[in-house]
Amino acid sequence: MAHEMTQTALTARIHFDRSSRSNSKFILDVALDFDAGVTVIFGPSGAGKSTLLDCVAGLLKPQRGKITVSGDTLFETDAGIDTRPERRHIGYVFQSLALFPHMTAAGNVKYGLASLSPEEQNQRVDEILTAFRIEALRSRKPRELSGGEQQRVALARALVTQPRALLLDEPMTGLDAELKASITQDLLTWNDRHKIPILYVTHNHEEAVALGDRMVFLKNGRVVDRAEKITPVK
Amino acid sequence: MEALLLSIRLSLTVSAILFAIGVPLAYWLTFSRWPGKFLVETIVALPLVLPPTVLGFYLLIAMGSQGPLGRFWQAAFGHGLAFTFTGLVIASVLYSLPFAVQPLAASFESVDRKLLDASSVLGAGRLRTFLRVILPLSIPGVISAIVLSFAHTLGEFGVVLMVGGNLAGSTRTISIEIYDRVQSMDYAGANQVALGLLLFSFVVLSIVYGMNRYFGRNSGSRIWSPWPTK
Repeated sequence: MAHEMTQTALTARIHFDRSSRSNSKFILDVALDFDAGVTVIFGPSGAGKSTLLDCVAGLLKPQRGKITVSGDTLFETDAGIDTRPERRHIGYVFQSLALFPHMTAAGNVKYGLASLSPEEQNQRVDEILTAFRIEALRSRKPRELSGGEQQRVALARALVTQPRALLLDEPMTGLDAELKASITQDLLTWNDRHKIPILYVTHNHEEAVALGDRMVFLKNGRVVDRAEKITPVK
Repeated sequence: MEALLLSIRLSLTVSAILFAIGVPLAYWLTFSRWPGKFLVETIVALPLVLPPTVLGFYLLIAMGSQGPLGRFWQAAFGHGLAFTFTGLVIASVLYSLPFAVQPLAASFESVDRKLLDASSVLGAGRLRTFLRVILPLSIPGVISAIVLSFAHTLGEFGVVLMVGGNLAGSTRTISIEIYDRVQSMDYAGANQVALGLLLFSFVVLSIVYGMNRYFGRNSGSRIWSPWPTK
């Protein structure tokens, strides 16, 4: 399950036409490369940010394109490759966090480690709970956690599997600035060691500026701008 | 007493079979994208609107010595199917099918799809997602399905009479017993049995609705109930 982290990179050539599935017209057409570190996917609502993440995770199937991570092809229309989401080894934190309500914090975090021995599972869970400062919450159900604590559990659950890339879909909506900064710091500290590409979707300008090593600006399903190191944009 | 024991045996058998059939069928009805799915939904729901005698009549024809099911059974097991306990079980399974499948499908449907996506990206296949996420969050629906299957089978009359007749020890269920006693003007006896059935049904439904509310409040699972859930 462990991967060669320093080589990690993600490429996404995606043409996804939602018009074929619903009445609303929308086409996402992007060609992006992501190195290790945080890339902020920034743009207004309906720009295609979440669609991009869903395609990378395998939850949506593009009509055309190619997606690779760490040199592995996850999806390629020409070659007929479409790896199922459960085999992509990509972490994903949804906007709603999607914590399993019937499991404890530790149970949620352990969920993705089924292929490991019980000893390895426990060791990994202990490590990640400590890294995200939630070891005291391990026996609590999601409804017994605050918004910030739920956020930390969701991040721990996504990262404990040592994914090859991490997708974050506006995960800090509703948290105050101090809490966001604290959680962000824990995430960046974790990634200093693991060095995977992190795609961080937001439409919050301050968040984008604070977090990103790079920024991609999406609008109407197209990349309209990129920046290597984010500087405040009017 | 014999009729009551026979009814309980029939209800337990039918509930177990319906659970085994209902879970995969409800899962398929919930998640399949097959455009003809509505036809299967219609067939499953038919016993809700059909008079029991109509269903019973066609089942009797099918299970009779000239019917396809009856002939198959005769060839395979050396005896007929109509007016037997096995025939009653088959008829009851079909008759109570919507009472098992609909609560299960409604519960599966109410599980947040994002949880299924989360399970998937965490490496779980469909079976593990079903066993670890969908099923535990559908416990109220599972309880409803089992209890309603049991209670509905216990109280059925028309289908039982058509397919099973009235043979003591093998097809004379409790509802047939009540009918029998009324026919022979034994109103006191009929009242005794009917009152027992009435109380039993009340207790069963109270348990179902009570548990639904309990699980709705204390677990993350959603309530399945034909009544308002607030």
